[in-house]
Amino acid sequence: MSDLTYKEIDDTVIDTLSPPTAKYWGIIALVFAGLLMGAGCWLYQIFIGVGVAGMNTPVHWGTYLINFVFWVGIAHSGTLISAILHLFRAGWRNPIARAAETMTVFAVCCAGLFPFIHLGRVWLVFYMLPFPNQRTLWPNFQSPLMFDVVAISTYLTVSALFWYTGLMPDLAAIRDRATGTRKRVFTILSLGWTGEQGQWHNYARGYLFFAALATPLVISVHSVVSWDFALSVIPGWHTTIFAPYFVAGAIHSGLAMVLTLLIPLRKIFGYERIITIHVLESVAKTIVFTGLIVGFAYATEIFIAWYSHNIIEMESFWWRAFGDYAIPYWIMVFCNTIAPLFYLFKKVRTNLKLLFTISILVNIGMWYERFVIIIGSVAHGFLPNAWGLYSPTLIEFGIMIGAFCLFFFLFLLFVKHLPSVSMTEMKETLHHGASDDG
Amino acid sequence: MDRRTFLKVTGIGSVAFAAGCGSETGEKLFTLVNAPDDMVTGEATWYASTCRECPAGCGIIAKSREGRLVKLEGNPLHPINRGRLCMRGQAALQSLYNPDRLKQPLLKKGDKWQPISFEDAIAMIRYRANAAAAAGPNRVRMLTEVVGSTLEGVFTDALAGWNSSGPVMYEPFAYESLKYAHRQLFGLPILPAYNMEQADFILGFGADFLETWLSPVEYAWKFKAMHAIQDGTKGRFIQVSPVQSLTGANADRWIACRPGTEALVALWLIKKALAGGAGYHLPIDFREALDEITSDLDAAEVAAKCDMEAGQLQNLANRLKAAHRPLVLGTASAAGPEAAVADLATATLNVLLDPVLTSYDFDNRHRVEAAASKDRVLEFFKAMDKEPVRVLLLHQSNPLFSLPPGADIAGALFKKNLFKVAFTNSLDETATAADLVFPIQHALETWDTYEGKQFVTGTMQPAMGKAFQAPSMGDVMLKAAFETPPASDYKQLVAAKLTGRPDSASSTEWLRLVQKGGRYFKGRGEGNRTVAPNPDMLARLQQYLARTGKNERHKFFLAMPSVRFFDGRGANKSLLCEIPDPISQVAWQTPLMVHPAVMRSRQWKDGDHVTIASAAGKLTAPVYGYEGLHPDVSAMTVGQGHTAYGRYARDRGLNPLQVLDAVVDQDAGGLAYATQLKQLSGTGKRQQLACFAGSTSQYNRKIAVSIPLAELTAAGKHEKDKHGLTMEDFPFTPPTPAGYDRRRDFYPPHEHDTYRWGMVVDLDRCIGCGACVSSCYMENNVGIVGEERILEGREMAWLRISRYQDRKHPERSNFLPMMCQHCDNAPCESVCPVYAPHHSAEGLNNQIYNRCIGTRFCAQNCPYKVRRFNWYDWEWPDPLQMQLNPNVTVRSKGVMEKCSFCVQRIKTARQVAKDQDREIRDGEVAPACAQTCPTGALTFGSFMEANSRINKLIKDPRAYQVLGYLNAKPAVIYLKKVLQEI
Repeated sequence: MSDLTYKEIDDTVIDTLSPPTAKYWGIIALVFAGLLMGAGCWLYQIFIGVGVAGMNTPVHWGTYLINFVFWVGIAHSGTLISAILHLFRAGWRNPIARAAETMTVFAVCCAGLFPFIHLGRVWLVFYMLPFPNQRTLWPNFQSPLMFDVVAISTYLTVSALFWYTGLMPDLAAIRDRATGTRKRVFTILSLGWTGEQGQWHNYARGYLFFAALATPLVISVHSVVSWDFALSVIPGWHTTIFAPYFVAGAIHSGLAMVLTLLIPLRKIFGYERIITIHVLESVAKTIVFTGLIVGFAYATEIFIAWYSHNIIEMESFWWRAFGDYAIPYWIMVFCNTIAPLFYLFKKVRTNLKLLFTISILVNIGMWYERFVIIIGSVAHGFLPNAWGLYSPTLIEFGIMIGAFCLFFFLFLLFVKHLPSVSMTEMKETLHHGASDDG
Repeated sequence: MDRRTFLKVTGIGSVAFAAGCGSETGEKLFTLVNAPDDMVTGEATWYASTCRECPAGCGIIAKSREGRLVKLEGNPLHPINRGRLCMRGQAALQSLYNPDRLKQPLLKKGDKWQPISFEDAIAMIRYRANAAAAAGPNRVRMLTEVVGSTLEGVFTDALAGWNSSGPVMYEPFAYESLKYAHRQLFGLPILPAYNMEQADFILGFGADFLETWLSPVEYAWKFKAMHAIQDGTKGRFIQVSPVQSLTGANADRWIACRPGTEALVALWLIKKALAGGAGYHLPIDFREALDEITSDLDAAEVAAKCDMEAGQLQNLANRLKAAHRPLVLGTASAAGPEAAVADLATATLNVLLDPVLTSYDFDNRHRVEAAASKDRVLEFFKAMDKEPVRVLLLHQSNPLFSLPPGADIAGALFKKNLFKVAFTNSLDETATAADLVFPIQHALETWDTYEGKQFVTGTMQPAMGKAFQAPSMGDVMLKAAFETPPASDYKQLVAAKLTGRPDSASSTEWLRLVQKGGRYFKGRGEGNRTVAPNPDMLARLQQYLARTGKNERHKFFLAMPSVRFFDGRGANKSLLCEIPDPISQVAWQTPLMVHPAVMRSRQWKDGDHVTIASAAGKLTAPVYGYEGLHPDVSAMTVGQGHTAYGRYARDRGLNPLQVLDAVVDQDAGGLAYATQLKQLSGTGKRQQLACFAGSTSQYNRKIAVSIPLAELTAAGKHEKDKHGLTMEDFPFTPPTPAGYDRRRDFYPPHEHDTYRWGMVVDLDRCIGCGACVSSCYMENNVGIVGEERILEGREMAWLRISRYQDRKHPERSNFLPMMCQHCDNAPCESVCPVYAPHHSAEGLNNQIYNRCIGTRFCAQNCPYKVRRFNWYDWEWPDPLQMQLNPNVTVRSKGVMEKCSFCVQRIKTARQVAKDQDREIRDGEVAPACAQTCPTGALTFGSFMEANSRINKLIKDPRAYQVLGYLNAKPAVIYLKKVLQEI
């Protein structure tokens, strides 16, 4: 990377903000249409009832909460990369930190939508807010769903601020090169950044504090999400392993999503010299690690079910693996623990196509992990008489596609309007030559 | 835009916006200028009446709110049902408020129906009948359901006036074979009541006395009076039949026999009884002849013919011998092949073992004995061809549906120059074939009497305001048939008949009678008749023995009576369709029951389509595997498969009568609800069954627990004495501070205010009949979702009866009523973010609908899966909404709901108690389920009252909590079912 100069970095990154082509707008229109379709599905559900989705008794939670956990999981690696790896001084994270953080913010937005979509009476969602009211009714802070409200909103706030803080010097750099309306917009956005010594000093401190603040959130948010399940009594949910298991899973899926997003981005924007193959390899290595943790968690769950001698737990896990939902279960096992092992081979790690394919597999596998956990447990609860199965409906698929479209809509807008690689941090990397010690 | 325009636009806009915010009731409310004395807004008025959903004649009290009937309950004074009602009785309001109920007479013009006025319709009947009568005798004929004697008298007189013979009473289940047997034994074709409660051993040969047979509510309580555990013992019940109905599922032991061999078993038992010295009260030559006929029967041979084990036969004989008061019952309402001989042999066995006839109550004979036998009914229709009948009156009967196609009722009906009048409230198959359909008052709107039994005269009175304009059947006949009517209106006639004095319709005596719901005499109880056997019966028995059991193995098909639809008259009630069959747990559909061994050998799974064909016809049905069948038998319940009748009945389910022959027994005149199959084969197609049950196995989870009688008396240890944390050794934890243990509990126990409501469910008393489910739906405005939604798993039942199979004996069923357990440590309460599930000061787990935002976390976390989510807004098509209980919120979409222990009833009781400055007494409140349970399996009360019934019951060593080891401290305590190996 030593052949890069400050100017080249600025040029490469700011060039990505050149006026977009018609093709770009075409894609934007397409994902926006998908987004509208998803919104239409939701509106239909609000008017007709949640019955338009496939949930039933006993499976009262379906793809909406699968997608919620899925997106929260995706949101995790952004902060991991930008905050935790920042604190650990892992230089290879610098080129991808911006994109990963952005992914985090947008993924939390998507995730945050799903609890609303899930609700039977979304128009009364404000009952969950602790606002003063005539009947002195307060939300139930014993409920893991209230933990969720707090955790997710905190996470969204912190990750959005963290993202914006890191963005500020870059916004100023764009402002300096821009003209006309664009200049005015970026002038406002860069909040009077001049690049003085004092500002840099405060910025560096602030960024570090934010990183320190965001780090526990990476652990806590998904732990809290896992408690939605672990604090219940349902066999398959009521276990103590859930918090670390979910956090590892979240990072696993988030890193895979980073690869899924960055590999095309790198090619389209010609970031090959900034996001080097070494960076991607580092991500892949981390995925191997998280994949092993996740695999270990799967094995532990089964072991504990057997070790507990609890016939209900035993039956529940047996059924997961060999019952009606055996196919999702084995998809999950293969995609999350076996597929990433191929990253152990350097040939695979350095082959973009394989790198990309396996990252997609991990994404699919992690979606199915949530399916297996959320559906598989309640479908086969305590009373055999109440067992039932669930399959999603078209409306749910519509909303799921809508959420993906929302994510890509935001992300596509982002890559053409804001710097998708942190120029500041790239320059730091150059200065410190930190990329080689990652 | 200038300022003025802006103001105008915003002004109009805001007004328009505000106008759109109306609550849109769309109805005007009027207050009554002069309200009737007994109508106080917000308070219920109760009217006594008689249930006419089947011929049993149970007493009911109908709850009226603001002039509308909202609920039916059993009349506690009535000797037949003693305050209880069955599933069908509870659903009777759905025939009153049926959305397909006709409002006006309809006259057929070509292919179309033309509405005409009631006056014109009566005039038309009068004109047609008079014209027919003028032409000669017997030109006007009438077929009616079994009616009370008053109405029967009016019919007879009216027909006599038209120079014709009296009405023929038609009931699909007319017990011809039993009447035949009694004619042979007692000289009269009668249906005496059985003193079942006094028996200590019942041997049934298929009689489905818990479902449809004679008087199911009566026999349900009588059965449990002898069969429920009491002081360490319980009566015994064995059923021998090819199909184990719900009744058989409640037997201590069910023994499968090949269809048509029930009589053989009974005859062998007769031989044994005679050998044991029974029958000296019978004429000596009869006894000797009987002995001679049966002497050749060899246990091994009989067992082989019946496909039983010889040991089982011997066991039956031993049991009968050992019993002090044995009772032998015959075949089912819809009896199989050889029913006449089977009933003859079983009744003979019964009188043999019961010398002074203590098991019969001859003074109280079931009214249904007035029904004509099938051969007479078929003759009635055949005679139409020969006799020049001009007018046919059909009152509340649907022979086109309830007789097999071979009877060719349609052929008789579509005769030329025959004017057919159907007096019915819905366009059923027979009404569709009529020329004039005349809607009449429902039993709950009319004055009438009905004698459920000879000494029990039930009255009917209009229990609600006139929401429908139809006249009563009695009045129609009085107007149409009499120049000078015997009374000014039918009400006068009813009053005169009951009091014995004319013009007594306003007398105190009459009012008292109506208030009580009728006149009930005890009768002389048992005995008072002697056996006078007809020697001809011996020939029939001999004939049977000569031809039976040549060991041909046919595939048999049996049509079973349905606990839900009776003979099919209930099929257009959405509620009865929605409540699943207690055995298959399938709602809305009619599956074909096949033995699992057959299913395995054919590689069929539940829901696979199977075609059955007999000489008479063909049917393709989804299959359901059930252990309670002889492997040679497949069975289907009657009631569904209508081609008309209404939105809930039409083209739904299947009608097994389609494959039956219209062959009647030569002596008894009964129809065999069975046939031999020529074909039983899969079609390769399949469908999903609308089945409520996920699995019928308990997976060893201690859910519906049973205990052998021997263990109960031997150990008798209470579960509260256990100390452990696993499923097996977790102690009994009542939902009171007594259930609190620091070692197990994180939170302190709830403090309760005066009451801590709870329920005890005695599994030894529960027969799985589903009356409680029906009552719950009616009381609590529970949504009826329909077949499609049940397939999606969206049923709304607050209370369900789950059927679990015994692991060792899969043919044995355990029924477990499952409703909200109102846990003291409720998993649902802690997870709701907005406190919609709320633990009340009286221990109820209240669901606050207004607060619920629909996260559904509570339902996810409920181990009992009793919470129900409103996936949609449910519909009550007009006028079904009139039945809705005004004391219970109708839930809208997006809200969770569940059993509330009928909190509205508790509140009502509390108001009464408060007015009288006292506390609610034990037994004063009964939720709808407990109120109607025919066997008294459900007991409701407060744990805080030391001497409450539930506090006494939970001291029983049988007490346990379903999934108690989760430490949710459920307030529904179950008492284990007591098994006895016999």
